[in-house]
Order: sequence, then structure tokens, then C-alpha cells
Amino acid sequence: MLQILIYGAVSSAIYAMLAVGFTLIFGVARILNLAHGSFYALGAYAAYVLTSLFKVPLFLAAPLAVLLVAGFGVVMERFLVRPLRSSQLAVLMITLAVSLAVEQALFITFGSEYRNVPSFVADKLSIGGVDISGQRLLALVAGVLVLLTLWLFIQRTRLGAAILAVSQDPEAAQYMGIPTNRIFSIVMAISAGTAALAGVLVSPFLTVQPTMGLLPMVKAFAIVIVGGLGSIPGSIIASLILGYSETIVAYLISSSWTELVSLVAVVVTLMIRPSGILGRRAAF
Amino acid sequence: MRSISGIDIAGGIVVITILALAPMLAASNYLTGVLTVCAIYGIWASSWDFMSGLTGRENFGHSLFIGAGAYTAGFLATIWSTNPWLSLPMAVGIAIAFSLLVGFPTLRLRGPYFALAMLSASAILQRLCLIFWEYTGGEEGLYGLDPLIKNPLHYYWFVLGVLAITVVILTLLAQSHWGLLLRAIRGDEATCQAAGINVTFYKIASLMISAGFAGLGGALYAHYQLQVSPPLFSVVVSITVIIMVYVGGIGSIYGAAIAAILLTLLTEMLRGFGEYRLWIYTLTLMLILFFLPNGLIAPLWRRLTERLR
Amino acid sequence: MTVLLEVDGVTKRFGGLTAVKSASFTLQKGELTGILGPNGAGKTTLFNILTGFMAPTTGSIAFNGEPLRQLAPYKIVNRGMARTFQLTRPFVGMNLLENVLVACLSPRAHGDKDKEERARHLLDQVGLGGRGSEPVETLPYGDLRRLEIARALATRPDLLLLDEPFAGLGSSEIEPLAQLIRRLHREENLTILLIEHKLREFMALVSRVIAMNFGEIIAVGPPDEIVRNPKVIEAYIGKTEADHASA
Repeated sequence: MLQILIYGAVSSAIYAMLAVGFTLIFGVARILNLAHGSFYALGAYAAYVLTSLFKVPLFLAAPLAVLLVAGFGVVMERFLVRPLRSSQLAVLMITLAVSLAVEQALFITFGSEYRNVPSFVADKLSIGGVDISGQRLLALVAGVLVLLTLWLFIQRTRLGAAILAVSQDPEAAQYMGIPTNRIFSIVMAISAGTAALAGVLVSPFLTVQPTMGLLPMVKAFAIVIVGGLGSIPGSIIASLILGYSETIVAYLISSSWTELVSLVAVVVTLMIRPSGILGRRAAF
Repeated sequence: MRSISGIDIAGGIVVITILALAPMLAASNYLTGVLTVCAIYGIWASSWDFMSGLTGRENFGHSLFIGAGAYTAGFLATIWSTNPWLSLPMAVGIAIAFSLLVGFPTLRLRGPYFALAMLSASAILQRLCLIFWEYTGGEEGLYGLDPLIKNPLHYYWFVLGVLAITVVILTLLAQSHWGLLLRAIRGDEATCQAAGINVTFYKIASLMISAGFAGLGGALYAHYQLQVSPPLFSVVVSITVIIMVYVGGIGSIYGAAIAAILLTLLTEMLRGFGEYRLWIYTLTLMLILFFLPNGLIAPLWRRLTERLR
Repeated sequence: MTVLLEVDGVTKRFGGLTAVKSASFTLQKGELTGILGPNGAGKTTLFNILTGFMAPTTGSIAFNGEPLRQLAPYKIVNRGMARTFQLTRPFVGMNLLENVLVACLSPRAHGDKDKEERARHLLDQVGLGGRGSEPVETLPYGDLRRLEIARALATRPDLLLLDEPFAGLGSSEIEPLAQLIRRLHREENLTILLIEHKLREFMALVSRVIAMNFGEIIAVGPPDEIVRNPKVIEAYIGKTEADHASA
């Protein structure tokens, strides 16, 4: 029981870090970013390169990796996405192209074999008789902290208020003198950064390889649909639902079946409540 | 939309004749094989264009239908060892069943749900193929399919014939009142509703048609390769198809088919670049998105024929 | 006279805001009625509820004696209630004929052998005859309104709802459009309900006015009575004063 509780919390935290960024950039800039999974993969690879090749200590490598990927996200938004923003299809295409390009670049540079990243914390902890690696626990704690910080940032700061304003009505925000383009860049940086952080945190205990971004991105889609496209609280709730359902399914049936959980969740959501748990109206 | 003229028909006949005679150039099975793949991609691209190009609902998981069709052929051959020809109608049926499964919950909605759901569904199906490897053969996939037609050249002609029929059927549909409604949906769904049109019905029906042809192409591919494997479901297949439609000019159908053939040939020529091939592809896509938003083939043909008129 | 439309206690709330408050009225077959009210009075919301684009929070609507509960907009159109939009939304990338032809393909419009011919005839009827092959993008505003009406007529409506047909038109365009509406009412025996926020435009057009303010129906009656109704005067003068105050 306790095992489910802890492991479920860890997956939920990682999913939430991915989904929040994905939903944020959609909610604010209406960019449906199919390259979101690339940020996650790039985060993991950046951590690998910095620690294994440049021998940077991990506590330095992690923030550096996050910054690098956030920068990559900003550049992508500015030069590839922004010129095409008028067409939804073009945005989907260009972000998908970026994700393929990143995957291929990783494949060509590092090959398809799995890479290892050292753990931040090597110790194993025992909570109530359940063994859990310190690394997983760290991922959980970091995830919760990041989400809390993001929440406070959006609710309590001027910049956060501006971001909210743009997401509610971009035109009105522009009239009020909010520089929407700069807001897009900032949100893209946050979105890419949190995804990269998720990648960095999981890299020691999950496999690091070029196609690692695809499935988490599919999960992020599922969470965002279940939670409601554009809603941050919705995506956090949905992350908990999905993280725990997967852990329970893995525990009760088999880990092979976990992949079906998100598919079923998406189909059920779209059937009974298309706008998601906390989403805005999606249908007629 | 411009209606079909005599020049278009003449152009079509010329292209098909050239394609039919092309294998004679080299008298090698290699070229015939490449051309067969070209024609199959033509079926996939024109079927994508029919639904997504006309209605503007972008399908980012066309590989779902392609893979479903191919695996149907694979299962029929390896488990039930039925008459291989049975796999064509079965593949169409299964692909249509999948289109209902994904299309019904998502196409009722506005917004990007359909695109996301299709992408996710194809990625998850690819995963499931690997997870349930006892039944699907895992990474290796299923082997030992029988060819539909033993002689490769005759099979190529058969596939080319299917492509030609596909393009003709889909073009006629696109030119018909049905096609007008699909283009209206692309324009404004609320206005369509105000005009008394059941938007959801037309979207789902056109997805079924699109899926059926994609599944047919999948089965033809399976009987050409004589095996099926999980990469058929991959996002790369879907994106390749979408790039082809983009190059062809969205919504033209014939443009998608011709672009598919040319790009497949180009890919073959790039084989020497090995792993950089996909990069070149991606770069092509980016260049087209930025510099040729209307595509290449269809606008070119329109300009050419306007001179001749 | 038979009742065509019966609206009973329709309310629509958006969060804390009540856009339409317990609206009830009936329309007789063959009537030409106007809904009057300042901007924000809930007229368009009411239209959206009638045509199925929004669900009412409470209340019921009966059309031709049958309840319209939770019906998709296209189904309501096919029962014989067609509408135009205040902000015209034509199908871009298509010509005028194709724009009307789309509606000629709806189930209710079916029956003609030659649908193109019917679409051409409808264009004639609204005064856009012979211009079928023009692209819709370059059409002036007044003609777009006519195109919307042709599209609505294509579905053979019993009741035609016109959402501010005169908004944004120049004075030279208003009278011919009013004539068209009058002719459709007379010759096609069409029941018409139209929205307007300026009194003057349709006093000579409609036989009955439903006046709304702040989501509520404040008065119903013939136009000459409505202009003298104290509540209506207050709603309009109050509005004008508020305008002055904010200016």
C-alpha cells in the first residue's frame, strides 16, 4: 500500500512537471508544442554530457542543463514558431520537425545505446518498510517545489499577473501595454526548463536514449486532455490521477498494461467531459 | 475549387503511362521495388489529404491506419493463413474500425484534440506491439506473408492501378458536393451548423474513407515487404506522409500523390546519406513551411495549365 | 393564427452574470417581430440559445409544437429555424454560389434536382443575381448580409432569425435591405424575428417589438406603443446618460 503511495507520488510529480509546461505554453501562446518531449530528452542528455564528458559536478550540471534547454526553447519559439504562428497546422508541423531533428541529432551524436547519469543521492531510504532510492525521492521533492514556486510566481508577481492576462485575452493584454511577445519567450523558457528538469531528475533511474522524449510527451498530452487544455491546476490533478492509476495497474496487473491507462483515460475523458476536469469549454 | 479539365486528364494519363513504363528503363527488380513503395506512399499521402487537407483537421497519426492495415495482413497470413487476397478488404475494415474508435470521441470537438489523439494513439499502438510481443512478434514483427502477385513487375502495376483508382475516386469525391462540404468545414464550423450541415458526420465519414485507403495501402506494403514490424506505426511514417502532402499542395490530392512519388525517389537517392536522411527530410519540411506555404506540385501544375489554356 | 415559437422562462447565466433572465414570449406564424434593446441587453445570447449554439441554464423552447431540448444547431436548422450572424462568417476561399450551395445540401433543403440552380435562384432573390462566381473575400458588408440571408433561406426555414442585419451599414444600404426583409416576409410568408439596438431602424419594419434590457423582457407591443413605454424610454435615456457620463 505504502509502496503504491510513494511510487505513485514520484510518477505524478514527474508527469506534472512535464504537463504543466505543455499546458502553460498552450494556454498563454496557443502553441501546441509537439517538441515538448525533446526538452525532456535534451535535459537528460545535457546532464549526461556535462557530468560524463566535461566532469562537471552534478549539482552544477543540473541547473546548467536546465538553463541550456530553456535557451533552446526560447530560440525555437523566436525563430521557428513565431513566424508561423498564424497557422495552427504550420506550428504543429514545425514543432514536430524540431522534435524529429532533435531525436535524429541525439541519435547521430550518441547512438541508440542507453547512457548512464550518476545519481544525485546514492543512498537508499527506507520509509515504513518500503525501500526507495534517494534519487526518486529527490525527483518527488524537486517536482513539488518547482510546481509550488511556479504557482507562487504566477499568483504573486507582476510578471505572473501579466502571463495570466495574456492567457485570458492576448489582444486586450496587448492594448494594456503588456509585451506579449516577451511573455511568450518567458513562458517558453519556463515550459522548456521544467521539462528539462524532469529529464535531468529521471536520468539516473530511467533509460537515457534518443527516443526517450516521445512517450512522456504522449503522457503529457493525455494529462493535459484529462485535466483540461490550458489549465495548470487541472493538469496537476490529472497528473496525480494518471500517476497513481499507472502505479496501481502496474502493481495489480502488470507493468505492460500501464501504457493503456493514459489511452483509456483520454478516451473516457473525451467521451464524458470533453473539456477536461478544469478546462474551458471545448465543444459547442 | 477548379474543376477537372481535359488537360488534367491528359496530364494524369501521361504520368501514369510514364510510371507504368518506368521499370523498363533499368530492367532491375530494384527499381520496380522502389516504384512500388512510391505508389504505396502515393496512396497514403492522397488518403491523408482527402480528410485532413479538405477539412483542415490535421491527422498526426495516419500511421495508425497504415499499421493497422499492415498488421491485419500480417495476422491473417501468419495465424490463420488465409487466402492472401482476403487481407485487402480485411485491412480496409480494420483501419475503418480504428478510425471510428479515435474519430468518434475527438472529432465531435473543436480545437486540437483530434491531432493530439491521433498522434498519441499511433504512438501507444506502437508501444503495445512491443509489449505484447508474444502475439505481435515484438521488434521483429511478423514474417512469412505471401506475395499477392509473384512477379514484382506485375505487382507494381497492380499497386500503381490501385493508386490511380484511389486518386480518381478521392478527386471525384473532393470535386463533388461532398468535397464542397468538407471545404466548408475547413472554413467555419459554426457557419456550417447554421447552414444545417451535420459537421461531425462529415468529418467522421471522411476520416473513415481516409483510413480505409490508408489501411489498404498498409496491406499492400505488407505484401510487398512480406513482413510487418512496429516502425510502421511510428510518428516518422505519419510525418513523412504529411510532408508529402505539404509539398504536393494541401487539398489537391493529385499533388499529394505526385509529391509522394518524387519524394520517395529522392529518399532512395539519399540512401547514401544514411542516418542524415531524416535530417534532410526535416530540413526540407522547414524550408517548405517558410518559403512555399502553398506547396510545390499543385501550384506549379495550375500555373502551367493556365498558360496552355 | 398558430403559435410557431414558444419561449418559456429561458435564463442564461455566465458565472455570476445573468445574460438572459427568465425570458418568455411566443411568435405566431407569419409574424415579423423585432427584439429591441441596448447593447448588452442579452439579445444575441437569446438568439444563440434559440438556435442551439448555447444551452439555456433553465427554461424551455418549443418550436412548431415540439420541444427543442439539447439539440445541435444543425438539427434546429433542419427543423426549420435558420439564422444569420451579426458578424458575418462566410466560407472564405469559396465563391458566392458555393457559399449558398453548402446550405442547399442540408437535409431540409434537399429535394431539388439541380442544387446549383437553386443556389443561383437564391442569390437572385436576395439581389446578388449573376455574381455567383465572385470570391467572397472582396464582398462589401451589405452584400455579405444578403449572402447570409440567402444561405439561411436555402434551408427552407419556417422562422428566420436575423442578428442585427443593419449593424455597420451605411444609410443608403439600410433601406434596400429592409425592403428585402419586407418582401421575404410578404412573398415567402416567412416568420421573421430580428434583433436591433437602434429604435429608428425598424419601427417601420416590424409589427411587434419585444424590448429587452439587462437580460429581461421589459415590454412587448406594437412599435408605436413601445416608443411611448416609460420603461423603454428609461432604458434608452438611462443608457444615453450613462454614455455621456462615461464619455
